[in-house]
Amino acid sequence: MQEKLFEKISVIFSYNSEKNIAIPYKIRWQLRDYFIKKLAYHHKVREGRELFHIFHVTDGNLDFKLRFNTEDLSWILEEISDGLPD
Amino acid sequence: MDYPINKDTPTIMHIDLNSCFATIEQQAHPHLRGKPLVIAAYSTPGGCILASSIEAKKMGIKTGMRVREARIICPNVIVRDPDPILVRDVHKKFMQICGNYSPDVVPKSIDEVVINFSQTPSLQKGLKNIGIEIKKRFRKEIGEWISCNVGISTNRFLAKLAASLHKPDGLDIVDYQNLKDVYSTLKLTDLNGINVRFEARLNQAGIYNPLEFLNTDDVFLRKQVFKGITGHYWFLRLRGWEVDDFKNKRKSYGQDYALTKKTDNIDELKKIIIKLCEKMGRRLRASNSCAFGIHLGLVYHDWTFWHKGHKFKEPSYTTQELFSKIMILFFQQPNKMIVSKIAVSCFELKPVFDIPPSLFETGIEKKRKISLALDKVNDRYGEYVIFPALMMDMKNTILDRIAFGKI
Repeated sequence: MQEKLFEKISVIFSYNSEKNIAIPYKIRWQLRDYFIKKLAYHHKVREGRELFHIFHVTDGNLDFKLRFNTEDLSWILEEISDGLPD
Repeated sequence: MDYPINKDTPTIMHIDLNSCFATIEQQAHPHLRGKPLVIAAYSTPGGCILASSIEAKKMGIKTGMRVREARIICPNVIVRDPDPILVRDVHKKFMQICGNYSPDVVPKSIDEVVINFSQTPSLQKGLKNIGIEIKKRFRKEIGEWISCNVGISTNRFLAKLAASLHKPDGLDIVDYQNLKDVYSTLKLTDLNGINVRFEARLNQAGIYNPLEFLNTDDVFLRKQVFKGITGHYWFLRLRGWEVDDFKNKRKSYGQDYALTKKTDNIDELKKIIIKLCEKMGRRLRASNSCAFGIHLGLVYHDWTFWHKGHKFKEPSYTTQELFSKIMILFFQQPNKMIVSKIAVSCFELKPVFDIPPSLFETGIEKKRKISLALDKVNDRYGEYVIFPALMMDMKNTILDRIAFGKI
């Protein structure tokens, strides 16, 4: 099932300079912590002069689509899905 | 004129991403991997399937089917909306990788490219090795779930054919050595460009398979089968000679929209038409063109269709100019019925710099400059920051889509 949310969330982000890997490490959504295991896809989107980074990540149970706004440094959880039919 | 089969070293590579929209969705959502998934224009039962995953294809779910048909075949099929931004990003990365090997890379659609390696240093590596390398780079640089088919040959037609031989994740070379063997395993409709009607025409001329097609005389193809130069092109194409190395020039811009709520209310329809005109106008102006021809097509609730095109003396450039001309056509409908789909397009494109300023209507130049300025504001601050007043409450109507064969 897929759910579109567009909710502000808290994120701990990590950057590994040796491997040059940047990935959200932990997200907090609805008072629950989710530890990110894998970055499935990352891309950038421009809306006018604003630049957003889109991270498709998974904690092993759920897939998350996160949007990072480089203008105001905020994080939005755009959608979650568990890979099951709706 | 008699041509033998082309015995040159193959220099054309055709790359086709497997089940593009669905595979990309599976790449971004790991929990969808290995499951029957379809990407549909709308997830409602009547929504048209744009792409199905390799798993769904194995069950018999094909592009063009309706969501309800897919659910009959597989009740557990997962249905998702397309994500054009994500797909375009993959396309961009896909093009960047291909561009590392040759300067002549032409995208044929969002998931297909043709690379011409002639006179490039990459050729020394061998096209087969390059094909393997590109596949590895896709997996490493785009995503591990991304696979593609690679076809190598002496012309675009045979390279595409080679890319379709072993799906998914295949790599095939078609050249003079195996050309007849490949043809002997195929049907006429397996050839790109031969549909059921062409097949019927070939059958009528006594040609029933690709091998017989190959062995048919040039004159016979020209004079008896295709009745024109097309026959000669087929004669060359089948033998591995290049006839498809041309770039299509854009002749029109168009937008269409299937209404979620069918209506004959003029105010509602005007809102949709202005939004379609704004989207079309943005693309027209970005290409520095203006249009002399305008076309409107309407599908009614009873599936009847009415359309009208007209060439105007003065060019259209701004959204307002396009809209007012579309509305002229709109009011020429013989019967006003409930509309279920609207399609607008503009044609007869000319470079905007070639249009001399009008002597009598001096305000036009100003309006065009304002229109360009508004586009710049929207480019900088985001789509629809400024929009025509008629478009109020229309922000999320008419979604971004990738058309078939387009990027």
